[in-house]
Amino acid sequence: MRLSEIKDALGLEILLGSPDCEIAGAYTSDLLSDVMAHANEGDALITIQAHNNTVAVASHVDAPAIIICSNRPIPESMTDAAHEHDIVLCRTELNQFQVSGIIYAALR
Amino acid sequence: MTIRADLHIHSCLSPCGELTMSPRAIAAAAAESGINLLALTDHNTARNVPAFAAACRDQGVAAVFGCEATSSEEVHVLALFEHERDAIEFGDEVYATLPDVRHDPARFGDQVVVDEEESIVATLPKYLIAASAWSLTQLGRLIHGRGGLFIPAHVDRGSFSVWSQLGFLPVDEYDAVERVGEGRIDTGDLPVIAASDAHEPGRIGCRATEFEGAGPGFAALGAALRERRVRPIART
Repeated sequence: MRLSEIKDALGLEILLGSPDCEIAGAYTSDLLSDVMAHANEGDALITIQAHNNTVAVASHVDAPAIIICSNRPIPESMTDAAHEHDIVLCRTELNQFQVSGIIYAALR
Repeated sequence: MTIRADLHIHSCLSPCGELTMSPRAIAAAAAESGINLLALTDHNTARNVPAFAAACRDQGVAAVFGCEATSSEEVHVLALFEHERDAIEFGDEVYATLPDVRHDPARFGDQVVVDEEESIVATLPKYLIAASAWSLTQLGRLIHGRGGLFIPAHVDRGSFSVWSQLGFLPVDEYDAVERVGEGRIDTGDLPVIAASDAHEPGRIGCRATEFEGAGPGFAALGAALRERRVRPIART
């Protein structure tokens, strides 16, 4: 599924990268060591952890996109890291539960 | 001379710290256990630093000043400064970014600011264990901006550490790491310190950091870290 297919439902603000990005699934967690252990390649990462280390972990698990929830402020160091690792960075005012539900339904 | 430092201690201002942990009791317990360089590191505030500085002066124990800041990753970081004012201002900056969650003393413990005579002068209304708005990297920049030491706390512990939260130590300009001897995490050639993380007087000095220097103080500590001359020790 392309991110663009759920862009409106999530009210996604694409901060970096293209909405044509393909996602195979998604993983929701705010504990990056858990993401590192359990996320699958191709998952979008749904989290409130808005900092550059999230990008490092997303890159490690081959997550193509990060969705920052609850409109958390995103530091420039995170945008820079996402640019460097070629990861799509977006943000929504919805929380992790709402984003997970919408993506889960769309993928079924 | 050999300097023995305990650089991670909570006073009665930290909700998890006992009310018996007044700055005076901390300085007295440190002097008794042979600690000659002491840091106060309450969670996300340094408001007990003035009373702590006075107590250390009275006990003849050298002091550095700081707090244990919580990053947005929920990683604990020791921020240590030479001057009281830098510690207090940095602590206030961190506190200002904590979420507006009201503290419930019945559930989480007291958060009391005391004066030199151990009288309670204030209580802090926001819950101090919450995460600040700043990432690890941003905290490091703020600490260094004030000339402080940037030391990730208990990096190998199973909670509130780089190990528990991230699984690794991201590349950054750390001055040292504090280890407690639990998990395995690669910290490269960074200097390793040990500290008590005391929440009760009896724990002060149970772990400490030793180094040689002309006299205990911030400058000697900074030099020992830069030159990797620090030794973590544990009391048997």
